[in-house]
Amino acid sequence: MGVKKRQKDLTTLDKLYLPEIFKGLALTFKSMFKPKVTMEYPEVKFEPPASYRGRPVLVQEENGVERCVACGLCSRVCPALAIEVRANETELEKERYPETFEINMIRCIFCGFCEEVCPEEAIVMSKDYELVFTNREDAVYGKDKLLVPVHKLKDRLEFLRNFK
Amino acid sequence: MPKITIDGKQFDFNHGQTIIETAKENGIEIPHFCWHPKLSISGNCRICLVEVEKMPKLVIACSTLAADGMVVNTQSDKTIAARNAVMEFILINHPLDCPICDEAGECKLQDYAFKHGTGESRFVEEKQHKDKRVELGPRIMFDAERCISCSRCIRFSDEIAGRNQLTFIRRGDRVTITTFPGEEFDNPYTMNTIDICPVGALTSKDFRFKSRVWEMSSTNSVCTGCARGCNTEIWVRDNKIQRLTPRINETVNGHWMCDDGRLNTFKHVNNEETRIDGPHIRVDGQLTKVTWNEAVKEAVKRLKSFNNTEIAFIGSAFATVEDNYAFQKFSKANFNATNLDFARHVVPGSGDDILICEDKTPNSLGAVLTGIQPVADGMNLAEIINGIKSKKIKALYIMEDDIAQLDSEYETLLAKLDLLIVHASNKNKTTTLADILLPVSTYAEKHGTIVNVDGMIQRMRPAVATEELERSLDQMPMSRWDKFGTKFDRWARGKKYDAKPSWKILGLLSQELPNKLKYKMAEDVFEDVSQHVKEFSGLDYDLIGEMGVKIKSDKITAKV
Amino acid sequence: MNIWEIIIITVIKIGAILTIMLLTVSYLVYFERRISAWIQSRLGPNRVGWEGILQPFADVFKLLLKEDISPVAANKFIHGLAPFIAVFVAFSTYAVIPIGPDVTIFGYSIQLVVADVNIGVLYVLALTSLGVYGLTFAGWSSGSKYSLLGGIRSSAQMISYEVSMGFSVGGVLLMAGSLSPIAIVEAQYGWMWNAIVQPIGFITFTVAAFAETNRLPFDLPEAEPELVGGYHTEYSSMKFAGFFLAEYANMIIAAGMIVTLYLGGWQVPYIDKLGLGEIVTALMQVGSFFVKMGAILFFFIWVRWSIPRFRYDQLMNLGWKVMFPLSLINIVWVAALIMIFNL
Ligand code: SF4
Ligand code: SF4
Ligand code: SF4
Ligand code: SF4
Ligand code: FES
Repeated sequence: MGVKKRQKDLTTLDKLYLPEIFKGLALTFKSMFKPKVTMEYPEVKFEPPASYRGRPVLVQEENGVERCVACGLCSRVCPALAIEVRANETELEKERYPETFEINMIRCIFCGFCEEVCPEEAIVMSKDYELVFTNREDAVYGKDKLLVPVHKLKDRLEFLRNFK
Repeated sequence: MPKITIDGKQFDFNHGQTIIETAKENGIEIPHFCWHPKLSISGNCRICLVEVEKMPKLVIACSTLAADGMVVNTQSDKTIAARNAVMEFILINHPLDCPICDEAGECKLQDYAFKHGTGESRFVEEKQHKDKRVELGPRIMFDAERCISCSRCIRFSDEIAGRNQLTFIRRGDRVTITTFPGEEFDNPYTMNTIDICPVGALTSKDFRFKSRVWEMSSTNSVCTGCARGCNTEIWVRDNKIQRLTPRINETVNGHWMCDDGRLNTFKHVNNEETRIDGPHIRVDGQLTKVTWNEAVKEAVKRLKSFNNTEIAFIGSAFATVEDNYAFQKFSKANFNATNLDFARHVVPGSGDDILICEDKTPNSLGAVLTGIQPVADGMNLAEIINGIKSKKIKALYIMEDDIAQLDSEYETLLAKLDLLIVHASNKNKTTTLADILLPVSTYAEKHGTIVNVDGMIQRMRPAVATEELERSLDQMPMSRWDKFGTKFDRWARGKKYDAKPSWKILGLLSQELPNKLKYKMAEDVFEDVSQHVKEFSGLDYDLIGEMGVKIKSDKITAKV
Repeated sequence: MNIWEIIIITVIKIGAILTIMLLTVSYLVYFERRISAWIQSRLGPNRVGWEGILQPFADVFKLLLKEDISPVAANKFIHGLAPFIAVFVAFSTYAVIPIGPDVTIFGYSIQLVVADVNIGVLYVLALTSLGVYGLTFAGWSSGSKYSLLGGIRSSAQMISYEVSMGFSVGGVLLMAGSLSPIAIVEAQYGWMWNAIVQPIGFITFTVAAFAETNRLPFDLPEAEPELVGGYHTEYSSMKFAGFFLAEYANMIIAAGMIVTLYLGGWQVPYIDKLGLGEIVTALMQVGSFFVKMGAILFFFIWVRWSIPRFRYDQLMNLGWKVMFPLSLINIVWVAALIMIFNL
């Protein structure tokens, strides 16, 4: 391998570095007075855009029933094995429903594959990024925590229709 | 020999073979829905269309006989176009909701749609709607929308089960399956139609919606419902058996198994109410859980307090060859046992000439061959019972059989014994009388062999983990869940029972006695068997393999 | 003044200086965090107390409550000793830096310096060289390769830059004709600040001061990306706090020295011509000392968040091939000035 030639040889002034150092200092000095980007969580909360992938949730129709038909595809596609679905039969038209539906939030990597694979648009990524637990058991979210009424997920559903 | 050319390759065939059979024999797959190797040809689905040179139109491979010099093309443009057309046609009224359908994952239509479908439909009209939940029989649920009218189920019940119970009614896109008036689809083999139905139209009421097929592990095993020993696969999720399906073995059960075997031979393995978890000793009239060590010490101590002639041993046709062999060896070597026998469970008139046998135990031949018989002038089962009555027999050692259930009088008799040691997996009448109760692994939790009515020796493998069997370490089949589960995952916390195979328990007991059984694995026991029992000589687990081996013996009585 | 009065006044001065030092160190850390945040468009700590001004105390409590860990492979005695050396040296150096002129309080004429040592400058140079023992010991005794590398780097760097530092100070001494800090300050009356008279010396001294205090761009002894934490990798709790304290105290000393040697110390040019009262003058002068020092400290922080770290060979190159010759040139320059203007 030949030695790569520099694109430009440095002049004496360049070699002193001083002008560059002062430029740098000037830059940082100026930025001290620029507006700050920090948000003061938890008083001010970040409202993510629709494309944000927060914790996955199950869509609950207006009549209180989940859309999910417990097909298990999300569970199969999940690269982190976070989802466990147990199906059973229901009298409703959809025939099967998830008797238990659990997502282990410690395993979940928020990849969104479950949302992408779901044939029923029943599992979507929410804007919720506040996931706190003090033990492993609490990190397993059941249907009680996963079901979110469809009107609260309008943003995401619209986003999916437009871009998925 | 006549020759046929399929896809440019020449093959020999026998006269009378169809194109599809010849192709299958030679590893060329021609798609088919209605054709089944064990059923008559109906030729109604048309997916098997292939191009044959010099024939003006495409022909169906399932009913066209192969002829000498015939040139068949299964991949020509015409064939593929026809296949696509048939797929599109079948899918016109078939609901496109695999996510709901229980067959997904093992569905022929799904597979073919993936392999041979164009992926789009020109059908924009409303699909035909039919009944989605029809109870065809006590065990079968029928979804009329999913049926593709292949008639496999009709032909099965007609030709294999020998009961003409199903038929098509209506025509065109309204055609559907129903039972004859006043009939129910209830023959003893109905559930095989679930397996052969190429779609999810027929489902098992028992297993329906319980689990996706890809979420379970499957283990090759053998049914223990009767002396036929149909080959099965055990499907396990969460360390619980979810279903049994037949495994093809032409010399035993062909493609089939009976409904009773399929439904009623695994529930007890899962039954947390009745499973015995850990050894028990009777203390103050109550069965109390103790450690293995305590139970073994107690059993040996109490056995030793009797004269050898006061003890009787009862083996079992439910237990494996290994267990029975170890049982007779243990009792003869340490207690000079002569009073040795096992109970037969024969229900006269319950058999048929399809699969079901009158002998309801899977291994009676194995028990006989391994020597579970009275020695010299020792007592047989009936004499042992009399011996208990006459107080000649004071201690009874029962391995894996519910003796108290055999006769109404036995229960009171067994209660009179000074000592009753029982090996059992589930609570039953005998175990409630036991003084010492030793929990055994069920057939789905151990390695072992059984011998069927025709002398086929076949292997069973563990499908369910126990406390002494670890799924990955003991190389049991694993589903994806099993492979990646940690002890913190709920699915990896399925119940594991504290139970051991009988030969192992006997080995533990023998450690406290002069003649020790030095087996480490089931294979060691079988090695011993093959060296000492002439019918099994030269055999080992590898030779028996998945399909079993037929042994020669004069004790095989053609029909039991 | 009898001996008791001298002792009492000295003790008071020591107490005052120590308090000021500790407070300044705490707030230096606070400002460092806030200024760095501002430079990076963040807010920085602003939760504890108004705008976070109680943050330093929260930090101290936190450090106090942390578990004190020493590695199995460590030499326990030296491992424990090292932070004390660092702290001790840092704090004792401050004794000779004057923060104002003589003042008369309650009839006592008091010098605003703990000890007017006539070889004050030498004392500072000597003690700062001692300070490196703390770091080297820490590095060696931790029984960790990262710490050891940090310790070695620290001593090599110290030696390289002490040379140019010493020569730069040479110029100042020539001008003042004395080793006493007070004399040096007084020699910079009016605009005769050494920074103006001998700018090269000012620059070399400042750069060397950066190197001596292990501040970016010369923080190789603790370069996090390469050495985890350098010599203090294996320290926790209050022992770690010791090094932290020493590092910031060293910064203050460096700033104090720069002000004393080059920026006229407490002097405000021609303030005596304004005819203010003695107390007012003294206050303004003390104030000017702190303002100047604050400016230098800000400069320290500002540089740290603007300029990336040197590579080790660059550091050595700069030290021996640039700084050293420059400081020699400075001495010649000052000598020439003295000769020509007969100062
Ligand atoms: S977001 Fe990804 S990791 Fe999380 S549950 Fe869905 S598929 Fe699994
Ligand atoms: S993929 Fe959708 S419908 Fe299927 S189980 Fe998951 S959430 Fe339910
Ligand atoms: S129910 Fe199944 S096997 Fe029977 S005709 Fe319909 S598709 Fe064929
Ligand atoms: S015929 Fe016998 S062995 Fe076969 S499945 Fe039925 S019960 Fe089991
Ligand atoms: S398989 Fe030949 S027509 Fe159905």
